[in-house]
Amino acid sequence: MSAVTRPVPNGASGSAPGSAPSSALLEVTDLTVEFRTPGGPVRAVDRLSYRVEAGRTLAIVGESGSGKSVSSLAVLGLLPDTARVTHGSVRLAGTDLLGLSRKEHRARCGDQVAMVFQDALAALNPVHTVGYQLTEALRGRRGMSRADARKRAVELLDLVKVPNARARVKEYPHQFSGGMRQRVMIASALAMDPDVLIADEPTTALDVTVQAQVLRLLAEIQAERQMGLVLITHDLGVVAGVADDVTVMYAGTAVEQAPVAPVYTTPAHPYTRALLRSIPSASGAGRLSVIPGRPPSPGAMPAGCPFHPRCDAVRDVCRTDVPPAAVPAEDRMSACHFAADIMAGREPAPDDKDTGGHDD
Amino acid sequence: MTEPGPVLEVRDLVKHYPVRNGLLRRSVDAVKAVDGVSLRLDRGRTLGLVGESGSGKSTLARVLVGIEKPTSGQVLVDGEDVLHLSMAGRKQLRRDVQMVFQDPYTSLNPRMSVNEIVGEPFAIHGIDPAGGRRAAVDELLELVGLDPDHANRYPHQFSGGQRQRVGIARALALRPKILVCDEPVSALDVSVQGQVINLLEDLQAELGLSYLFVAHDLGVVRHIAHEVAVMYLGRIVEQGPDADVYDAAQHPYTQALLSAVPVPDPSVRLVAKGAPVIASDRAGVPTGSTGDVGPTNGASPTGAGPSRAVGAIVLEGDPPSPVDPPSGCPFHTRCWLAPTLSEAPPEPSAGGPSTGGPGTGLRLVPTVCETEVPALVARRAGGAPGAPGSTPADAAAHVVACHFARELVAHRVES
Repeated sequence: MSAVTRPVPNGASGSAPGSAPSSALLEVTDLTVEFRTPGGPVRAVDRLSYRVEAGRTLAIVGESGSGKSVSSLAVLGLLPDTARVTHGSVRLAGTDLLGLSRKEHRARCGDQVAMVFQDALAALNPVHTVGYQLTEALRGRRGMSRADARKRAVELLDLVKVPNARARVKEYPHQFSGGMRQRVMIASALAMDPDVLIADEPTTALDVTVQAQVLRLLAEIQAERQMGLVLITHDLGVVAGVADDVTVMYAGTAVEQAPVAPVYTTPAHPYTRALLRSIPSASGAGRLSVIPGRPPSPGAMPAGCPFHPRCDAVRDVCRTDVPPAAVPAEDRMSACHFAADIMAGREPAPDDKDTGGHDD
Repeated sequence: MTEPGPVLEVRDLVKHYPVRNGLLRRSVDAVKAVDGVSLRLDRGRTLGLVGESGSGKSTLARVLVGIEKPTSGQVLVDGEDVLHLSMAGRKQLRRDVQMVFQDPYTSLNPRMSVNEIVGEPFAIHGIDPAGGRRAAVDELLELVGLDPDHANRYPHQFSGGQRQRVGIARALALRPKILVCDEPVSALDVSVQGQVINLLEDLQAELGLSYLFVAHDLGVVRHIAHEVAVMYLGRIVEQGPDADVYDAAQHPYTQALLSAVPVPDPSVRLVAKGAPVIASDRAGVPTGSTGDVGPTNGASPTGAGPSRAVGAIVLEGDPPSPVDPPSGCPFHTRCWLAPTLSEAPPEPSAGGPSTGGPGTGLRLVPTVCETEVPALVARRAGGAPGAPGSTPADAAAHVVACHFARELVAHRVES
């Protein structure tokens, strides 16, 4: 159960009661990533914890700059040189990847964790055929022969339902449409038979009709292979359709973690609540509810709760104290001083007015 | 607000881009980006233009602001044909019709300060606003919710939402009548999108602006538009008041588009748990095949209304190339409805399944879909849904370009 934030001993023993016998394939605990900048270290991800189980989909939701992509790069050992993990662990089937050398880290990930990137055109090499790229890992790491690799490439394209796969493996990325390219990306991620697939905004660049195709394909393949899927997105509509568990990130931290249904019915963090309200709905009319202001820049975090300058339920304590991870209900986490109130749909009690001197 | 009436009219607009080939760069073919579009935008109203990439919606927007010259057709602003204007006339047109661009990161010159960017239209048109240019710029910045004290900053010092406000301020500088907004919020974060949409709505109420709002996000368009036109391969396939188009879509493409929009409701799952693998498990379903579409949408797309039944209609394949659009109805190669109609010829080969044949890769659609381009006509007659009965007669009619739209209306009535 991804909603558990406290470090879990390791392996199966810590499984939350609700979620059957499955144990975590991937477990991230207190992950903290800092970037080196001229102005000093800047924290992009702050104590992020989540678990991914076989056959389940965890959606990480956040705006740009919330740290959702950086945290995935840290998991895969693909952080740029200016960034480093300062704290936390990433356990893949029980092994802490961050304790390994960079080379070993990548080798372990290459076998068991794969990533689908947002922009397939940028992620594919324009000068190699699709078939060559699909099987690069197989030839390089498994020593597969060229003929076998070609055969495997056709199988992979068939798997992701690219029509006429036999002919298309010889084509180059520019000859594919956006949706087909994203299928190629998924196929290449599946080449090594990963246990965990991390998909970073896999459908953001696609049209809605093609997005529906790709999401359905991902969900089917995941169900078939019992993969753990981490879906990084900003679209709460997509999340509702495919995720089992949700982690909402804001300014580098997880502000809410819960199974998918209660996130939409009884959000326990004001940010989640505001995000849901700001979706232009099909019912249309009326003024769109908005979140005022904008996300803080990681170099200039506000004191107290990072969301407090934009929060509609802000109280004095929010301006000074970083909220602890509250557990307002089983399987749920909300980093809000008033998580239980928000979840119950109540406004938190007003501040005592006699102390009202320090809201500058 | 000012008196009603069309501020912008587009008649049978065509924009073809030649495809040149060979040594002599002879034009061998054409990309039919916009292929006979007629639109009408009333004063103080918002017309939403939706469609997938490649549907020609951005090309249409660019023709309207004069960035592109159309191949044929008419564009009338306030009743005046703007395509045969003198240089001076074109300059006036540019004052009346301004554009807000999609990407606030590339549409502002990084080497110009906000003051220069917003004031540039005055310089280009040689206008000296009363009270001076700087005062006018400050006023514009205030209008779009920016601090005039920041006028000396450069675009990189602003966030995405703020930059889009700068883009809007620039577009408003010359007091245009029409604002053409090409995906103005798609590059912004969700929490910021709403701020920009609300700003556009406020400005419309305050200044009586008319918007042509081009977007692929159907939720955003529903929110801001009064009327909606749906484009597919350079043509309008459905058009009407937004409530009609969203709640009673009559074109199979519009229905598919609406059903593909992910809804923020976890009870609407894309793939049901427990029965994860849907009908089309056959490897390599060919592009354009009906695949699983036939059986799955038999009843569902109309059952709960298309906006609810997410994933009920999943179109196969991608839109065809506008260089070589399909004959007849441009949508017939991906249409989920056509193969299910009784007019569709029966499966010729023996032994095949009786519904559309994914095994053969053959799609059988009614002949008329393949041969005749359907006209945009109103289909309200027979038992139309009585939903927005209060719609006044002078409002734009709900028109749809489908030979078999009646089938869809019938479906809806029975459900």
